[in-house]
Amino acid sequence: MNCSRVRKFLPLYAGADLSARKARRLEKHLVRCTNCRREIEEFRAVLAGIRAVSSKDTLDWPEGEWKGLMARIRSVKQGPRPVSPFAPIPKKAWAYGFAIVLVLGIAALILKTILSPPATPLLTEVMMPTTAQPSRALRADETSSARYPQDLPFRVYERREGPDRVLLAAVPAPDKTTQNMMSMILVSQETGLKVHWTFNRNFDWKEKKK
Amino acid sequence: MDEKEARLVELVLGGRAEAFEPLITPYRKLLLTLAYRLSRNIEEAKEISQETLMRAFRYLGSFDRKRSFKNWLLQIEMNVWRTLGARAVDEGTLRELAATTTPEDPEERLAGKEAREKLFSCLDGLSPREREVFLLRDIEGRSVKETAEVLRISEISVRVHLSRARVKIKELAKTRFPGLAEGWK
Repeated sequence: MNCSRVRKFLPLYAGADLSARKARRLEKHLVRCTNCRREIEEFRAVLAGIRAVSSKDTLDWPEGEWKGLMARIRSVKQGPRPVSPFAPIPKKAWAYGFAIVLVLGIAALILKTILSPPATPLLTEVMMPTTAQPSRALRADETSSARYPQDLPFRVYERREGPDRVLLAAVPAPDKTTQNMMSMILVSQETGLKVHWTFNRNFDWKEKKK
Repeated sequence: MDEKEARLVELVLGGRAEAFEPLITPYRKLLLTLAYRLSRNIEEAKEISQETLMRAFRYLGSFDRKRSFKNWLLQIEMNVWRTLGARAVDEGTLRELAATTTPEDPEERLAGKEAREKLFSCLDGLSPREREVFLLRDIEGRSVKETAEVLRISEISVRVHLSRARVKIKELAKTRFPGLAEGWK
């Protein structure tokens, strides 16, 4: 500790109001610093002086006034005695309250986890990467001339969005009402990631149970 | 709270109002003197002290027996002081240095008056909170923890105000009373 830091703690040290650890560190400094020792002596002298003065200077009620006051107090109606089912009230009620709220919160979290259905995982299957090269993408002219099998339960419509862009859209085939479900497997040639998708006839995605 | 006080509290709560006087008598000087040091006006000090005793009697049923009765009274007095005593202070009229009961011996009376002058001269330089903390800790000898309980503030706050108060008091005492401790004793 240097002098400026010690000076901050001297007022409390003078009245023995400093923690033991800080007081020990401060005392080490006081052993070798005359100025700080003088300062602490001044604090102690002033505090001792103030206490000496105050001990001489106490006031008291004149007996007549005191008796009159006591008579008035006796006529005062006392408030009801507090009745608490939890008496005596714990000193640190806030701590108990916080603990109860914490326990209830954790219990609610556990219950929610137990009662709620498990999250549906995206069904994936990782395949080993193959040495095959990625498929060649169809050019716009090839896409327009591509032919699709007619026995599928859906129809594919295409719309040209630009010179190099064709939008394909699929809708259920009105004459193929026997099939309500359709499965699609997407496989990445680069990573081997395989994704299974199952659609209903309105092409709403559904989880596939394995 | 000691056994005698606990017995007296039970008597008062049981309807024996006359037991309140022996219960409160050990603290009558303390409450009046502290009120006077806070307000620096004897009439106001009496008012604060009287209201403290009234409230103590009225709410004795809510007193927690595990606590110190003295600290409970001090806490009530501090609350009363903040309610009643926080009026505009006119330094000129508040310097009322005549005690209610003064010692018979003129020399003793003079010494008491001088002592009070010196004490008030130093307390004048403190803020209200610093004065409350200083009076409770350094004059009434309450611990930091008890002072914090009485004033309903944290112990850290007590230490901060106490430290400031002691620095101010030392500086004031050095300038106004160069004789310092020797002369005061």
